[in-house]
Amino acid sequence: MSAKVLLHVGTPKTGTSHLQDVLFRNRERLERHGVLYPADRFDAHFLAALDLMALPWGGLQAEAIGRWDALAEQVRRHGGTSIISHEILATASRSQVGRALSSLARDDGTEVHLVLSVRDLVRQIPAEWQENVKHRSTVSYEEFLAQLRDPARSSRIASWFWGVQEIPDILDRWGHDLPPENVHLVTVPAPGGPPDVLWQRFSAAFGLDGLDLDLEAERANPSLGVPETALLRRINKAVNPVLDPPDYRPLVRELLAHQTLSRRTRTPRLALPPDLHEWARDLGQRWSEEVRRRGYDVVGDLADLEPGPPPEHWADPDSPRESQVAGAAVEAIRALLVENARIRSEEQRLAHELHEARAALDRAYLRPAYRVREKLLRGVRRTAVGRGLHRVYRLARGRSSRPA
Amino acid sequence: MSAPDPGAARATAWVAHLRAGGTTPWAAWTGTTDGPAPRVLPGAQQLELLRRLNEVGPVPGDLTERVLAASAAGRGRPDQELVGSRPPSEFGPPPVDPADLPAEELLRVAALLLAEDLAAADTGAPEDDDLRRLAADAARRVRRRAAWHRPWRTRYRLVGDPWRADVLRRDLVARGRPPGGRGALVLVVADDLATMLADLWTDRCFSTGVAVPAWGAWLDSLAGARRVARGADPAAVAARWAPGVGRDRIRIVLDDRALADLLGVDEVAARPVLPAHAVELARLVSGALGLLVTPEPGRRLMREVLLPRLLEQAARTGGPPLGVPPEHHRWVHRRSLRLRDAVRAGDYPVLGQVEDLVSRPRVLAARAPAPAAVADDRVLALAADLLLGRTGPDGTAQGQAAAQGQAGPGRARREEQA
Repeated sequence: MSAKVLLHVGTPKTGTSHLQDVLFRNRERLERHGVLYPADRFDAHFLAALDLMALPWGGLQAEAIGRWDALAEQVRRHGGTSIISHEILATASRSQVGRALSSLARDDGTEVHLVLSVRDLVRQIPAEWQENVKHRSTVSYEEFLAQLRDPARSSRIASWFWGVQEIPDILDRWGHDLPPENVHLVTVPAPGGPPDVLWQRFSAAFGLDGLDLDLEAERANPSLGVPETALLRRINKAVNPVLDPPDYRPLVRELLAHQTLSRRTRTPRLALPPDLHEWARDLGQRWSEEVRRRGYDVVGDLADLEPGPPPEHWADPDSPRESQVAGAAVEAIRALLVENARIRSEEQRLAHELHEARAALDRAYLRPAYRVREKLLRGVRRTAVGRGLHRVYRLARGRSSRPA
Repeated sequence: MSAPDPGAARATAWVAHLRAGGTTPWAAWTGTTDGPAPRVLPGAQQLELLRRLNEVGPVPGDLTERVLAASAAGRGRPDQELVGSRPPSEFGPPPVDPADLPAEELLRVAALLLAEDLAAADTGAPEDDDLRRLAADAARRVRRRAAWHRPWRTRYRLVGDPWRADVLRRDLVARGRPPGGRGALVLVVADDLATMLADLWTDRCFSTGVAVPAWGAWLDSLAGARRVARGADPAAVAARWAPGVGRDRIRIVLDDRALADLLGVDEVAARPVLPAHAVELARLVSGALGLLVTPEPGRRLMREVLLPRLLEQAARTGGPPLGVPPEHHRWVHRRSLRLRDAVRAGDYPVLGQVEDLVSRPRVLAARAPAPAAVADDRVLALAADLLLGRTGPDGTAQGQAAAQGQAGPGRARREEQA
């Protein structure tokens, strides 16, 4: 069996969380069909990407150390078809791409296929701003858009955005010496179509057609509306100095944004300001023409990169309707109170368990057998020889004798 | 590999020139080559860093290759192409003249290289096998026995300013006076607020695991949140400990002499004072080191390997310590007055003068920091010295460059003449 790697490197907000969830939950089934998705946890490929690209990520980087090499070794050992997928790989530099491809044994004959899922810029730009806000950013939408349009791209926001979104440049970095037929572009269909079209395209690009996979989504990266994102930005301003990343992630990003605020679907949706539609449309068209010129394999239709018309009523997230923000804030407070009540209840349960454990320990200390053993040990440890023997005994049992 | 176009041939020749120790800037480079272009040219950041290192001194061959192969750590500009090295493209980040890159971008590469050096210096925890562990246990027992010989000693626990407390703790442990014990006094180490803020930030810069914002941004966030972190708030620390140990077992420590007398030692270690640019470099290196090792060894490497090297460099080159920018003087002064009042109101015993908690406007003004651009250049110069192992008293290379017997600075000039 010849080695083949399907490397899915982006882009963000193109259904990647759903794809990675399906691949992770079905990894054993896939392996039975000779396809390796090497992951011991859901975010294994995210950690590997952080490691490859030397990226800090709110404290997670410590868990990422050595992850890329471990992932690549699994792929090399497998020898058949393997899938690697994470959207932040899109921003890898040329030297990081070189290291990644070398570690996957591309020079030793491994067939590398690049997969890039793409969506029109008009939807990607607000989605990226929202992702920024969900990662503690306090930058306004107006400032975000101004930084994106700066030709120098020198700000962190702009360099990251274009690094993960500029399709021809991503393909330059990742695919500049791959045959075009090994580069596959999966286009995200326009809104309003059948919901499973995107999965069908992923399935075709990854060669998963005909496999019986469980497609029920457990994880997704849901979107927020205008007042919810505005509220989150205000929360960031207040909590950034006092909440460390390990607490921010579960409390703000997961509990508030994903589990609470994303359920408010009747509020205005984030969108690109109408006056920027033409700029984004032009850019998308140039990208499509470049992709067509290079002759890549397109799974879907490049016409999907054509944005729809601008919205008739555009809601500015920098000046949201305060009554809507207040509604979102009440929802957030409700969720935090419910969570707090759950934690209090858990705390009481643990306190009760601890109390029972202490009582059991006290009872055990009173038993004659324990008291005899303890007396014997005290006697043995009175002499230096006895202490040495006890130390040897503990080392032999494998228990640390290091003082606390 | 295919025959390069003129721009690529010029860039390929410049890379070879830099590899050979050359220092000619890209804009002034006119050389070319007939040889094939490599698959990927290093980014402008890596090439300019190598050129600057060549200017400082001879760069060992392995370091040259590491610089060229490195990618910058963390978020920032991607590897950028040299302006004029290939036909203009409408996609990707704009190409640059590497001389125009800010020092901050070169530092992202340098910090990762220094972090790699530190990680390579990690020989593991000193007690990584049973034999070593037993030896360490024995040493600990000897130290404890030394304490048993003085049953009247003052038992203590150090809290408060973490940078100062860490130094004191290590010094006292080395003197056979480990912390803890029944009835230990809780010593809340403190200083004037500006010094405590600088210490707190320095302590974070010498730890890994969590990204630390730049000094100015960190102060901005404190000012915006109208709070100071606990390590710089002795009244809050004392209030936290008081219910558990009792107010009478707490001391706010503002005087080293009084502390030495209380603990019955001749003297206590002085706070290691680093110039601001050295702490900034530590911040960048710790951020990159956190990508290579877990927090515990990271903290150890920063304090036991990098800190002595930075102190050595500081003794040689000097530089102003961390200062509070003028826009923060007002709130730091006011907040320090509130801290003083809170300590007084808490009625905690104080070693020294409680007035020493106050950051006086005149003192703050005297310690105003250097402009950011100047500071970045200093940080880069220090990073270059460390990368090249220049730790000698006159700034000569005594580290790896000298050890590997590389050619002297004349080599670069000879290459340029050739």
